[in-house]
Amino acid sequence: MSPWIRQHRFALGAALSTVRKAPGSFLFNVLVVAVALALPFAGITLLDNVRPMSEQLSVDPEVSLFVKPEATREEAQALGPQLRQIIDDSKASITFIPREQALEDLKARSGLSAALDTLGDNPLPDSYVMKLAGSASAADASRIDAVVEQLHQLPHVDTVQVDSAWVKRLAALLGVLRLALLLLAVTLGVVVIAVVFNTIRLQVLTQRDEIAVSKLLGATDNFIHRPFYYTGALLGLCAGAVALGGVALALQPLNAAIAEFARLYASEFQLAPLNAAETAGLLAISAGLGLTGAMLSVQRHLARLR
Amino acid sequence: MIEFHSVSKKYSADATALRDVSLNIDKGELVYLAGPSGAGKSTLMKMVAAIERPSSGRVIVFGQDIGKIRKAGIPFLRRNLGLIFQHQRLLNDRNILANTMLPLLVTGAPKAQAEQRARAALDKVGLLERARAHPLELSGGEQQRVAIARAIVNRPQIILADEPTANLDRVAADKVLDALRAFHSVGVTCLISTHDEQVLDGAARVIRLEHGQLVSSGASGTPPSGEFSIDAGGAA
Repeated sequence: MSPWIRQHRFALGAALSTVRKAPGSFLFNVLVVAVALALPFAGITLLDNVRPMSEQLSVDPEVSLFVKPEATREEAQALGPQLRQIIDDSKASITFIPREQALEDLKARSGLSAALDTLGDNPLPDSYVMKLAGSASAADASRIDAVVEQLHQLPHVDTVQVDSAWVKRLAALLGVLRLALLLLAVTLGVVVIAVVFNTIRLQVLTQRDEIAVSKLLGATDNFIHRPFYYTGALLGLCAGAVALGGVALALQPLNAAIAEFARLYASEFQLAPLNAAETAGLLAISAGLGLTGAMLSVQRHLARLR
Repeated sequence: MIEFHSVSKKYSADATALRDVSLNIDKGELVYLAGPSGAGKSTLMKMVAAIERPSSGRVIVFGQDIGKIRKAGIPFLRRNLGLIFQHQRLLNDRNILANTMLPLLVTGAPKAQAEQRARAALDKVGLLERARAHPLELSGGEQQRVAIARAIVNRPQIILADEPTANLDRVAADKVLDALRAFHSVGVTCLISTHDEQVLDGAARVIRLEHGQLVSSGASGTPPSGEFSIDAGGAA
């Protein structure tokens, strides 16, 4: 075994020995750090679940065009080729929905069949539903605005409705949430560093005799620092695991409530835990925060001991 | 091996620990450093171990100037020294075997090898059978012998013992000194500080300090010569 590996193994052993000597204290610190990490981890999990949904919706925005009620079926159907010409996109789909089909769909979806039957005449107009390709960029958004403007100019057109407007609002909201989450994560990251900093400070003070003796016996600074670095990283790693575990556990009751809510919108939306790569990434960040706190603390407090 | 050239050490304007001290200690010598408390014995030893740096003059150990040695180089200098303190400075949270292994572990020695050599060192000071005991379970004399085992386990070229017999009864003190003399007999350079005149009986070389000044150097009983420079071999 190379001396480098041996020294790191020794440092890890020393860090684990410190944990074994005061498991309660270590556990308490893990819980404090885990609480600080849990909030941004929960936010990341939530955004990770909502983002694909919003992206899916924003990729295929719908434009609904309603024909004037007095227009004849022939006049309504004559709009089809003109729409294709205006949209000028082979990927876009244009579907003509006759007023009779629209009424049947409404009856089927709303569960108000009996009430609609009492209306006598069909109040719904003929319509077109156009699914356009892409609206993620500002250029796409302005293109859609231009298309809508042209559709308004066509004869027999009553209303043009862009169904993707709320998706844009959702995307903007997610952007704000993402920024807020980033700020929250940075703030709580500082909290984690501060907690680890203080934990390591206490350990340095507790072990000051051992540190002093080791230095007199020929220990290098690296030899003395390494166990504290491992302790900090271990603390961050354990806290990260506890926080991720806590968030994953919280998803179960949350999903039960969401399922109830989503059913009202005929959706099966569920919050899923983060995938393996994201979990590993967050654990690495947690360990990194612990290591950073330990490094800052060791540099400061060992310099004071000297 | 150890050279002091006009060395002075001031901790503050009012506190001068050493004044213009010059001396040489050759390889394989057994030298006692005598003087009352506050004479500067501990400061002199700390300079050899690079714990303190001189305010003026030069301290040379193993050919390295302590005043100029880089911080990163100090641990490697100390690995060639065996340090023994008045208050042993053993770690009470681990047994004496673990205490004795520490100088080897800090150098990155394999644990099995460190344990084997620590056991051999404890055997030399007669404490192998107590390897699993903790320092607080031992008498003062036994603790000091553990400190000696820890000091010699890395086979140092120089042993620095600062008041190793202080606080010990005569029997325990003799055992400690016998152990140190035994290591000197196999060629280890020993510098032992003491204020106990009985320890100096029959000593080949004694360096006396008073108020930070070197007042004599030579065999025990040699009257103060006032010379500050000592030739190799220890003749006053």
